[in-house]
Amino acid sequence: MTTPIPSADTLESFHKELDEIRDDLMAKVGEEDARYIRRIVRVQRFLELGGRAVMVAGFYHWIWWLVGVVMLGCAKILDNMEIGHNVMHGQYDWMNDPHLNSRTFDWDNVCDGESWRRTHNYEHHTYTNIIGKDRDFGYDTLRLSDDVKWKAHYRWQPIRLIVLMLSFQWAVAYHELFGERIFVGKRRPEGKLPISHAELIKDFFSKIRRAVFRDYIFYPAIVGIFLGWPMFFAIAAGNLVANLIRNVWANIIIFCGHFTEEVHTFSEEDCENETRGQWYYRQILGSSNLEGSKLLHIMSGHLSRQVEHHLFPDMPSYRYGEAAERVRQVCAKHNIPYNTGTLWDQYKTVVARVFKYSRPPKKTGEMANA
Amino acid sequence: MSQAETSVQSVTPLERARQWVSQSLTQENQITAYLEPLIQVVLPGWTTDAVRSKVIQVRPETNDVYTLVIRPGKRWKGFKAGQHLQITAEQNGSLQTRFFSVSSAPAYFKKTGLIEMSIRVQEGGRVTPWLRDAFAAGGICNLSPAEGDFTLPEGNQPVLMIAGGSGITPFRSMLSQMAASGDKRDAHLMFYVRDASNALFQEEFEKIAAEHDNIRVTFMNSAEKGVFSAEHIKEICPDFAERKVMICGPTPMIQLVRQVVSGEGVSADNIMFEYFGAAPIELDRADAKDAYVSFEKGGVAAISSAENPVSLLELAEQNGLKPLAGCRVGVCHQCKCTKKSGVVLNTLTGQYSDTGREDIQLCVSVPVNDVVLDV
Repeated sequence: MTTPIPSADTLESFHKELDEIRDDLMAKVGEEDARYIRRIVRVQRFLELGGRAVMVAGFYHWIWWLVGVVMLGCAKILDNMEIGHNVMHGQYDWMNDPHLNSRTFDWDNVCDGESWRRTHNYEHHTYTNIIGKDRDFGYDTLRLSDDVKWKAHYRWQPIRLIVLMLSFQWAVAYHELFGERIFVGKRRPEGKLPISHAELIKDFFSKIRRAVFRDYIFYPAIVGIFLGWPMFFAIAAGNLVANLIRNVWANIIIFCGHFTEEVHTFSEEDCENETRGQWYYRQILGSSNLEGSKLLHIMSGHLSRQVEHHLFPDMPSYRYGEAAERVRQVCAKHNIPYNTGTLWDQYKTVVARVFKYSRPPKKTGEMANA
Repeated sequence: MSQAETSVQSVTPLERARQWVSQSLTQENQITAYLEPLIQVVLPGWTTDAVRSKVIQVRPETNDVYTLVIRPGKRWKGFKAGQHLQITAEQNGSLQTRFFSVSSAPAYFKKTGLIEMSIRVQEGGRVTPWLRDAFAAGGICNLSPAEGDFTLPEGNQPVLMIAGGSGITPFRSMLSQMAASGDKRDAHLMFYVRDASNALFQEEFEKIAAEHDNIRVTFMNSAEKGVFSAEHIKEICPDFAERKVMICGPTPMIQLVRQVVSGEGVSADNIMFEYFGAAPIELDRADAKDAYVSFEKGGVAAISSAENPVSLLELAEQNGLKPLAGCRVGVCHQCKCTKKSGVVLNTLTGQYSDTGREDIQLCVSVPVNDVVLDV
């Protein structure tokens, strides 16, 4: 099911109006955005250090352990989503702050920042929802459209979704290596990537070692030395749960961004010699938004504004709310669908999609689409 | 100003272990970098790498030159007369960094804890006019350690200092230091100024010269005497061949003075000079509008024709370099690199860059004038 493309005139005017939105908003970027992201970083630091400390008070009553775990989980969500994801897109590079720079930033996640920049910023954002090019479409494990040939093992994909959700940071970390068939399958010849396979493996394990050291050795040991070995396991378990909170939340938000019912896919032929207008069009049809409170937007790293993020990946996330109102109007004017809904409604359609494509395609349906 | 390359320092195993732990716990090389946002609640603008300092006063010198009087923070380690440093200040959310020479003496810093930097307002510049207004009532800035080797030579060798315009700043530092420390070497300053109203620090220099036999200062009014020439130097400082010649001023002036004094037989060893900004690319070109692009790490300089401009990424590739790149249309930011100097046009947004150091995307940048890249 690939998607028809509107007339060149429509796309041209569409392109111009979207560029206007970008220019208007980028001209406003300044102190306000800097203050915003710095405040978020401060809150993240407070939640992380506070969460780790409060968890220790679980020694007196288990409720503190729980409070600490939730705080740490939220800190990891903020770090990965509103700070990490957006900073690594270069949204805050203009601040010239070495700690908020896309080239040097790394996050509290087992996925190596460099690897993520390659697969996400380049593959996913350039080739969004082009089957065969955007490996984020289904993450190589899920079948989410009839463009992917059905095989018997896809029957089990609802279970795979749950496994993927719980281990999401590990899946993201392994994403690039899987694409290169580093450990399983037929190895790809080297040369396509800017770094060698050996370096890829080294970076992969180096990041994992550091993350494991932090959450499962260092902090548990520090506490364990003073409060006894049961606290070692309590802290390690707390960190594990905090990581799970982040994994599940990130997975839900990200799936709502690209795999809701109405999201379209594209073929490689459609996108050859694509114009900028066509590219914009594909980004809009390949993404979906979430409506909700300010807190939802912040905790989702503004991926609730996935459409705007895909149109303007390097615009500071702080501006996406403003952009959304205007993009929506421009879409309505050009008769281009704009996919949005509440988290609950959108996620229901994601789950429905996972179930739908776990079954083999119906022959008649194929004909109707063709 | 020549930008000193930071050399790769050898790291001890202990230091490496400390960095590894810090990286593991905070994804930053130093724990203080992670804590920065919290420390900034108490000390706005505090950073790990630079020294938080106070601007005490902005003192006008001439129409377009002003002096920042700064009290460096306690961690700042001092400087040698003639050295420069980077000053960083936040402008509309964005940290702006510029190199300036210290124009006051180390002795003055020792006595008062203050340093001065004298700055010319660059017309159309993003930072120099703004600094003057932003700090009119004082404020917080960050200073790097002092650096640079444009300092008085060791020993007692006599010097000839040739300054143009605001290129006087390192010499003001050197001469007032000599005066304060009783340095007996022979020093002669030839100071080229546009006209009498632009003779920076005139009273101060005349006072120093009057009080010290070994220091001579000659103001050269370009409106009357024209630009630097062999006749000037022969007339005003006939023993120039026995001196170390130190030059600081605008780029064309430095090039002219170097050419003339070399022609008069002064060996390259005895000529020292300091540019404002990155050193220019010294190559001949066919058309004045063509831009030269220097890829410093690759050791390649290439010409970008004005008629048929290509992106910096394509230019690098045409010249055998393979910078990291991804989407090639400005989306993925993988080809981002540091531009040390020069102006580029961003073809995606249609915006021109500033002249100073900043990050740019190679794939959507076209050089407008000579550009130096850290690639």
